[in-house]
Amino acid sequence: MITETSAQLVLEAALSSGGDFAELYMEDTVSNSLVMIDGAVDNATSARSTGAGVRVFSGVRSAYAYTADTSLDALIGAAKAAAAALSSDSRISVVPFRPADYAVSPRIPYATVDNATRIAKMHEAHLASKSYSDEISQVVVSLLDVDKSMFVCNTEGVWASDRRPRMRLAVQAVASKGGDSQTGYDSPGNARGFEGFDLIDPTACGKEASRQAVTMLHADECPAGVMPVVIDGGFGGVIFHEACGHSLEATSVSKGNSVFCGKLGTQIAAPCVSAVDDGTMEGEWGSIHIDDEGTPSRRNLLIENGILKSYLIDRLGGRRMGMAPTGSSRRQDYTYAPTSRMTNTFICEGKDDPEEMIRTMGDGIFAAYMGGGSVSPLTGEFNFAVREGYLVRDGKIVAPVRGATLIGRGADVLMKIDRVGPRMWMAQGMCGSLSGSIPTNVGQPRIRVSQITVGGKGGTLA
Amino acid sequence: MTYNEFRKSVLDTALALGCDAAETVFVEGDSFQVGVLSQEIDTYSVSRKFGMGLRVQVNGRDGYAYTEKLEDPESLCRRALDNARVIGTSDDHPMQGAQTYATVTAPENPVCDMSEREKIALALEAERRALSIDPRVERVSRDMLITGHTTIHISNTLGLDAHRENRYSYSYLSPIVREGDEVHDGMAFRTGRDILDTASLAEEAVQDGLSQLGAAPVHSGNYRVLFKNIAAVDFFEAFMPMFSADNAQKGLSPLAGREGENIASAAVTLCDDPLYPANPRAFDDEGTPSVSKTVVENGVFRTLLHNLKTAKKAGCASTSNADRPSAASPVGIAPSNFYMTSGEDDFETLKRKLGTGLIITEVSGLHAGVNAVTGDFSLLSKGFLVENSEIVRPVDQITIAGSFLTLLKEIETVGSDLKFTPPGSSMLGMPSILISGLMVAGK
Repeated sequence: MITETSAQLVLEAALSSGGDFAELYMEDTVSNSLVMIDGAVDNATSARSTGAGVRVFSGVRSAYAYTADTSLDALIGAAKAAAAALSSDSRISVVPFRPADYAVSPRIPYATVDNATRIAKMHEAHLASKSYSDEISQVVVSLLDVDKSMFVCNTEGVWASDRRPRMRLAVQAVASKGGDSQTGYDSPGNARGFEGFDLIDPTACGKEASRQAVTMLHADECPAGVMPVVIDGGFGGVIFHEACGHSLEATSVSKGNSVFCGKLGTQIAAPCVSAVDDGTMEGEWGSIHIDDEGTPSRRNLLIENGILKSYLIDRLGGRRMGMAPTGSSRRQDYTYAPTSRMTNTFICEGKDDPEEMIRTMGDGIFAAYMGGGSVSPLTGEFNFAVREGYLVRDGKIVAPVRGATLIGRGADVLMKIDRVGPRMWMAQGMCGSLSGSIPTNVGQPRIRVSQITVGGKGGTLA
Repeated sequence: MTYNEFRKSVLDTALALGCDAAETVFVEGDSFQVGVLSQEIDTYSVSRKFGMGLRVQVNGRDGYAYTEKLEDPESLCRRALDNARVIGTSDDHPMQGAQTYATVTAPENPVCDMSEREKIALALEAERRALSIDPRVERVSRDMLITGHTTIHISNTLGLDAHRENRYSYSYLSPIVREGDEVHDGMAFRTGRDILDTASLAEEAVQDGLSQLGAAPVHSGNYRVLFKNIAAVDFFEAFMPMFSADNAQKGLSPLAGREGENIASAAVTLCDDPLYPANPRAFDDEGTPSVSKTVVENGVFRTLLHNLKTAKKAGCASTSNADRPSAASPVGIAPSNFYMTSGEDDFETLKRKLGTGLIITEVSGLHAGVNAVTGDFSLLSKGFLVENSEIVRPVDQITIAGSFLTLLKEIETVGSDLKFTPPGSSMLGMPSILISGLMVAGK
């Protein structure tokens, strides 16, 4: 995207006020988005986004300037603007670049796929969803593909590029009866070329969305109160993402804004809990070959048998914490400075019987399919939605319930996990934080939490 | 190529390739952002961004393409044309022709005119003030000041040539308060001229944090609820998609076909006014001149929000609510300046009318706990327990749950304290509202 000579000029301009580290990031991203309503394509858009960002550090202070204009003049202008915000007596020079190309070409690049091929996949999902039941009143299918080429170089000799294709099919089904409606949703995706459809079954996706919507249409309102909850695998992993993952990011930890500050080597979760963030999993939605600072991605063991082993650390956070980066620095695009984020984050497989954990739970909720959530890392207070829930009475699933939310504090709920099942699977999500919206996987086996607050409007659980 | 050369070339090429019409939207902007921590600049960001969205029409169907590289007009046009050809819906989307617009005057924005040094000084001052208010303020976790400038130019082959500018500024302060092992973060924000009053920003943010000390859940059950304006506005914002005619026509809104019905209590009047003086605009994102309208009048639902496409299908006029969140987005629908008209009662009077129940001051997880298709919500919340019109203690770790349309009918009283979100393409405003009952999950 740029020659070594030009990059050197940009980095030197970035250091002109005495910064002790400078970095240039560039990207060229092409995306296509199709939306199908009731079986007909309603919107079709294509976009190409190109730009660059220059970041300068002076100790733990940082400045960032970005521009959509990637001419050398504009890049040097951005570098000087960032430099102007920081001044020190430090004088360093640019280390010779060590070029490394991590890009892997997809087998079927999206640019070689015509709209008709995309629409055929969407139509398949639509038909499966629509024909699932007479109660399905509307189906919205969307297909997004993004092919991002990125490049980063810095004053410590990093010169690295990556290519990150990703694709996601999403089906939202609405089931209606009388004046009542409920929705169901499924959205598989991966970080491969169009060959990723080898692993995505549009029919299964359409059926799953409709199954949820119809199930919830015939569900009662979820009761409210504190009770045991069994959370199934896959998107259930959002509980770890919110209750723990965000609070392990250097963004919060390095400034003392996390409940898990200073807890390395101590027990923060029940002994049955081990957890990992792994950006190296081939073709997975949250995977990256290198992070946005050029550090190779890796598997980070976060929690082992309840003991906190690692945080997720970017360069700037690492400077504050006196710790090395963990390949976790990510950003939505060049309009954001990168910071520590998750990739594919999951609770590891355990040994407990998935049926026994429901049989012995007494009265509570089985959360079969989770929705999104959020957290305040400072206090660890989190919340997330249950898309498909079931009321459990005396260890037996008795009826579906709708409208449930689970809330709690991360430090409490991690200690209250008392069962972890033997099979882990993951699901795809978009995670929003300081450096924008990025693709991440969440995952877990089926787990049980002995006590958690369940919000719903169906009265109290008597 | 300069922007104007590129724009002309794109429109000419689109017609030459057989499009019936073509429209470009060019958005250009710069921004400044500073974050302060421990009286030093912690984060600093400046930007210059631009991009062009192209919309072409073939047989009444829209196709879109977007680029940030002002080169190769033909490939941009071909991508848009490819996209137009696959549209399967039969709804025509008229393109706006030449229009004349009212002159609007934006409010003064003195912070936008400041030097970077002056803006940084304001952020430093806000942190200093927060730290000096109360010994329980441990430190400040976020102290940001943001300013920016955006210009939008829409032009098309039917003669539309519409240009507008927008300047914005806001500040945000979040102090951390501690008493023993208990930690809370307070929050307050200011926009426009109000940013200059860092004392009031710091005071509000610190009091917000201190007021949470001693918080605990309440027992689960049904409670009368007084939504404070800042919580009410976040809550209402999450249900805005319900008022979109596009969603209604697609079967994704429970308000479809309910114009003329009573959907709310008689205390409720909702307005959408693009000309509202605090954030006025002369036209919407497809160039339709701004129209002020009442959406709900004394409880009666009057109109959905329309753009040219949904208006044509419904056989009415556009309500000037066409929206493109970015130049890369297709034309959709969003509120402009959408607010509930205020009532007579101040917050103290509302608290007296509440009697015994909960004041809700914060709702979280709105992207997950709200379903705008069905109207269901279940949300992590904070606030205060009130008994006999007196605040007893702060409350946290509870959820409130219900249905938006039921809640609209259960609004007993509307307060006089109308408060808006920061101005942007949309700006939402709500007074505090008293609700007769909501299900609460706690201990």
